[in-house]
Amino acid sequence: MADKKTESAANILSIRSLEKSFGSLSVLKDISLSVERGNVVSIIGPSGSGKSTLLRCASFLEHADGGDILYDGQYALHNGVYASKAELNRFRTRFGLVFQNFQLFPHYSVLRNVSEAPILHGENKDEVLVRAMELLKKMGLEGKEKAYPYQLSGGQQQRVAIARALCMRPEILYFDEPTSALDPELTGEVLKVIRQLAEEKMTMVVVTHEMPFAKAVSNRVIFMADGVIVEQGDPREVFDNPKEERTRQFLRVFER
Amino acid sequence: MSLMTMIVKMSEGLGKTCAIFFLTLIFSLPLGMIVALLRMSKLKIVSAVTRFIITVLRGTPLMLQLLAVTYGPYYLFGAPVSRNKLIPVVIAFAINYAAYFAEIYRGGIESIPVGQYEAAEVLGYTKVQTFMRIILPQVIKRIMPSITNEVVTLVKDTSMAFTVSYQEMFTIGKQIANSQTSFTPFLVAGVFYYIFNVIVDYVMGRIEKRLDYYK
Repeated sequence: MADKKTESAANILSIRSLEKSFGSLSVLKDISLSVERGNVVSIIGPSGSGKSTLLRCASFLEHADGGDILYDGQYALHNGVYASKAELNRFRTRFGLVFQNFQLFPHYSVLRNVSEAPILHGENKDEVLVRAMELLKKMGLEGKEKAYPYQLSGGQQQRVAIARALCMRPEILYFDEPTSALDPELTGEVLKVIRQLAEEKMTMVVVTHEMPFAKAVSNRVIFMADGVIVEQGDPREVFDNPKEERTRQFLRVFER
Repeated sequence: MSLMTMIVKMSEGLGKTCAIFFLTLIFSLPLGMIVALLRMSKLKIVSAVTRFIITVLRGTPLMLQLLAVTYGPYYLFGAPVSRNKLIPVVIAFAINYAAYFAEIYRGGIESIPVGQYEAAEVLGYTKVQTFMRIILPQVIKRIMPSITNEVVTLVKDTSMAFTVSYQEMFTIGKQIANSQTSFTPFLVAGVFYYIFNVIVDYVMGRIEKRLDYYK
């Protein structure tokens, strides 16, 4: 029992036997996974496999029907029962989420998009603004702080969204297909930023269709299909030597 | 009666016309938001009742509603008819316009992508912060053209106060027209309303332009 506790404490996120259905359609079946501090986990799989739903459950946007979700060994969801609202709000400060469609606030400047939430949480305004400017610089967006989202390219908007999530100083960052809404020539700049975060040992879970990227940056790859985890492991193992036929079948499409 | 005398006499009613106009906006714009939120309530009974009230207010003539608010209390309870007709007139107008504004607000609120709520939720915005800071400003920008339409209509609708003999500009004009058997006061009224709406258009245009800093 003591062993189990230390094991789960090393994991920022642990999910056990997670279940989720929309009406009669079961989209997550007995999903278990854990994410260690400093690791990057990629989730790949065909559309409709439940990858995004899994991230949305982990970030409480979707209400799971059963199982456990733990942050730092503490239950946010225990046997299908959620912690109190106040506790969930506290868990929420541990993670950030980057959406496929950025979801920047169009009426806010870039700087306000990035800085408003921590200021609303009572942090010192000047400190937050300094941090926001540093993050924008890091995202290659120096000089864009006064721009509005519509004035930016998709790739720039997504980097603002990443800066916005990072400004909350999350312990783990989720990416829900961060490059799927981008023109092909813009995906590189976003992937580069995520790669840089991986080198800095930011803990991340990335749902992606960018296979070379997943292979290069991940410590672990999870292949999902039809609501179950079919296979997971070292990226070289999963990509170069998949054990399951379903995985081989999926990866074959990308080889062509 | 000379044209000049007519214009002067009718101008005296313009203050009351403006009173109906501004008081109606002051009360109906916020009231409409409350009605819209009730209409979108998750409680089925609340949204159903609100919906019914909106259909009644939009589906019956404003003139009828004016008469009902002004004289209804007398016929129902024998209560004396209010001496200052501005009160029932503004109540009737405010309720009627709130119903229209509510539907405009609802359309605007429902047009905001659900992702905006989700982004705010993940960033830890409270429900109130999300609505006031993220949703409402975007809604206001989107609905401005529809609001302008209603405001222009309201300018002209103030003339309906003649049905309860409230001495605003059109009521005075109608009285002059009757006593002098002249059509001229109606032309004067038309010009007054037109000028009023040119100003309304200009002001609303300025507001829309100020909201034009983003897309």
